[in-house]
Amino acid sequence: MVKTSNNLLWYSILFAILLGLGYSIILASQSIQYTWRWERIVPYLINTEPKPILSPYDGTVTVSANADAIMVSSDDGESAFEVKVFSQLEVEDGDQVFEGDVIASLSEWRLGPIANGLLMTLKISIVSLFFAVVIGLFVGLARISSNPILKHLSMLYVELVRGTPLLVQIFIFYFFIGTVLELDRFTAGAAALSVFAAAYVAEIIRSGIQSVPVGQMEAARSLGMTYVQAMVYIILPQAFKRTLPPMAGQFITLIKDSSLVSVISITDLTKAGREVVSGTFAPFEVWFTVALLYLLLTGSLSWLVNKLEKRMASSD
Amino acid sequence: MTNQYQGNDMIVAKNIDKYYPNGCHALKAVSATINRGEVVVVIGPSGSGKSTFLRTLNQLETITTGEIIVDGINMYASSTNINKLREEVGMVFQNFNLFPHMNVLENVMLAPMKVSKRKREDVEPLARKILCKVGLEARIDNYPSQLSGGQMQRVAIARALAMEPDVMLFDEPTSALDPEMVGEVLEVMKQLASDGMTMVVVTHEMGFAREVADRVLFMEDGQLLVDDTPESFFDNPSHPRLASFLSQVL
Repeated sequence: MVKTSNNLLWYSILFAILLGLGYSIILASQSIQYTWRWERIVPYLINTEPKPILSPYDGTVTVSANADAIMVSSDDGESAFEVKVFSQLEVEDGDQVFEGDVIASLSEWRLGPIANGLLMTLKISIVSLFFAVVIGLFVGLARISSNPILKHLSMLYVELVRGTPLLVQIFIFYFFIGTVLELDRFTAGAAALSVFAAAYVAEIIRSGIQSVPVGQMEAARSLGMTYVQAMVYIILPQAFKRTLPPMAGQFITLIKDSSLVSVISITDLTKAGREVVSGTFAPFEVWFTVALLYLLLTGSLSWLVNKLEKRMASSD
Repeated sequence: MTNQYQGNDMIVAKNIDKYYPNGCHALKAVSATINRGEVVVVIGPSGSGKSTFLRTLNQLETITTGEIIVDGINMYASSTNINKLREEVGMVFQNFNLFPHMNVLENVMLAPMKVSKRKREDVEPLARKILCKVGLEARIDNYPSQLSGGQMQRVAIARALAMEPDVMLFDEPTSALDPEMVGEVLEVMKQLASDGMTMVVVTHEMGFAREVADRVLFMEDGQLLVDDTPESFFDNPSHPRLASFLSQVL
């Protein structure tokens, strides 16, 4: 009997289930009489609203002959205000204007608060990711070292960090360490995230190194390599390959955990979402958008790691 | 390493004792001398300490008491750089231990380039020559996972030879191979022996011992019981334990 012949049936059932799930969300929102207003979200992502250019004082407008510059000379004759970059002229030559009048408008694309939040989340994630790997590598190596100081300090580090909630660690970093070392909130937040993720990265690296057969180290040493050379050329490249899948999971967790830094007033994606909700009263749309943007970040990371994994599989 | 030592004894082991951390007494007062250009085969039942003995000769295992002198250098003297010493002592393992993330050529060239700091263009002709000698010039770009057991072991021998060692240690080099591949590895080892390489071989291949060895050692229970020429080792066993061992394996 050929099993695959049923695949079409299973896929249609899967499709039906997904359709049902989507429909139930629509039904649910109808039952609470919620009106979806997705268009309200757009300006918070990308702001295309023309920016008004205001006159700085009372005065007279002079528009140049080919209308590419506006000059406002103040009534007391002491100062002149010139505008060269604008897209829509709002006054005519010789017009009298008062302070705060719109003389022209500039249409440009600006990032909205949600897009800025996304950039902040991306920035803090990349910075934390880098330091998490660096710290994690050293702690992981110290963890398997035969030196009791290195071994026990790294064990203590891992236990302390893994045994306390990230939220509490962020507060400690911001209020205690941040005060002692005079860190700004971004540094404090990134440091807390790095230190937290590094403990997990260290364990992943340790298990990766220990999963490389002992014979590899023996072969490397028997050729005259030092411990460090054997680690760098033989053990770590193999360990790296083995740790890629759990490492990818850890990186994705790090991106998601970065939402916690919003508690120390870093305007990341989550905090931006909260601010936009209070401005739009469209919580459903905002939170769905925020979730989608997080998914975009984690999804592209998964895709990247997947590609890397395939490339490194060449020697298998 | 520039070493002026010209004595005939390549490796001297004096009264070595080895205790494992669990208290196991693996080597008991073992003394042996391996002369330059000599092929010495070590035979014994499993657990007799023959692999442990071999691994002490390049300090993959440390000894508890005793003295090991390689090429005139005391291995445990505080002035000895063990990494330098290991460059002179090539080792071939039962499980090949090739580096799986590198192709054949990179496996062979890595140590000369990274340990001896030689240039790639100097090392590559040497590596190709050695790979040619073990019959693998066509497999240079393959990864270990694409090779058969016999081919992997020949690459492992080439990798050790690329450091141009003075002595080669073989730790049961054919034990992990399918029977039809044992021959090709032994052939390479015979070739090496006839080139005058000093070799210490732990093996169960009695035929190889009888044919190639200059001397055969018999170990049991951590002790070196017999040190003899192959003829009298196999034909007139001088020790009752050896006689009973041979009657079981031959």
